[in-house]
Amino acid sequence: MNVLICIDDTDNLESRGTGELATILAEEIERRSWGSSDFVTRHQLLVHPDVPYTSHNSSMCFAADIDLAILDSLIAYAGDFLREESAVGSDPGLCVSVIDQLADPEAVIAFGRSAKEEVLNKKLAYDLATQLGVHLSEHGGTGQGVVGALAGIGLRLSGNDGRMKGWLRIQTHDGLASVGDIMAQTDLGGVRTLDGALLSATEMVEIESKPKAVLLDGKIYMMVSPVTDGGRVRWRTTPRSQLKKF
Amino acid sequence: MWLKDTQGKKAFRHGHDAFNRASEAAAECGDFRPDVEEEWVADEERSCYNCRLRRWTAESFVCLLPA
Repeated sequence: MNVLICIDDTDNLESRGTGELATILAEEIERRSWGSSDFVTRHQLLVHPDVPYTSHNSSMCFAADIDLAILDSLIAYAGDFLREESAVGSDPGLCVSVIDQLADPEAVIAFGRSAKEEVLNKKLAYDLATQLGVHLSEHGGTGQGVVGALAGIGLRLSGNDGRMKGWLRIQTHDGLASVGDIMAQTDLGGVRTLDGALLSATEMVEIESKPKAVLLDGKIYMMVSPVTDGGRVRWRTTPRSQLKKF
Repeated sequence: MWLKDTQGKKAFRHGHDAFNRASEAAAECGDFRPDVEEEWVADEERSCYNCRLRRWTAESFVCLLPA
């Protein structure tokens, strides 16, 4: 059974990031043999004076494949974990959604998209979560993080938002790798240009430091940009500065 | 490089895409603290855009250090 788990607003200026807590949760699911966890994605939400956040406003989401019988245990564990591990002054929220049991996927996707464009509140989030049969809970502070937690579920479910936490580990030869080799070393859906074209397996790519991947069309892609300064090959990993729109 | 915003905080005057200036500002700053990796947006690590002490705003960011 596939679930999405999203957390938000767990940090302060001194603490570990929300992404690290999401990673620990994902690893704990596997350590306890509750199931298998997928990669963590970061989802940017609205930056606005009326939205409380520390220095950015993003939520962290991952998918897991678990047995239905452990769902309640997972939710209880994740809630306790957030209460214990979230930073002083944070307002952590947790959302867990069983994908196949989601009453109206489009509604939660729409909520996620709205959270990137307008100021939402806890009541809206709780009302929608109840309507959809999604677990939503707060674990300290004002609990404002429930808004971002539900929004993150919607954005991950959309398949078209967010960057993968961390970076891709790709072995290269003199800084270069073929798309085929890249695919063999990763779980990528493909290597893709910003225009949406997929590169063929024989194309060569210059791999810059710490290449990132983004979520598009339900898959994780490494993005590349054309080399315009006379490089050795036609493509180079897209710089981080050009990935911030994802 | 900086303006004082309505709350007296330092606001970066060049917006979200002035990567060279954000890098220059961080080079001159003794309090730079890299944020967690997933929150970096600049290619060079030492950039105000990658600093834990920047708070994004709709137009740019404010620095949380005392003005």
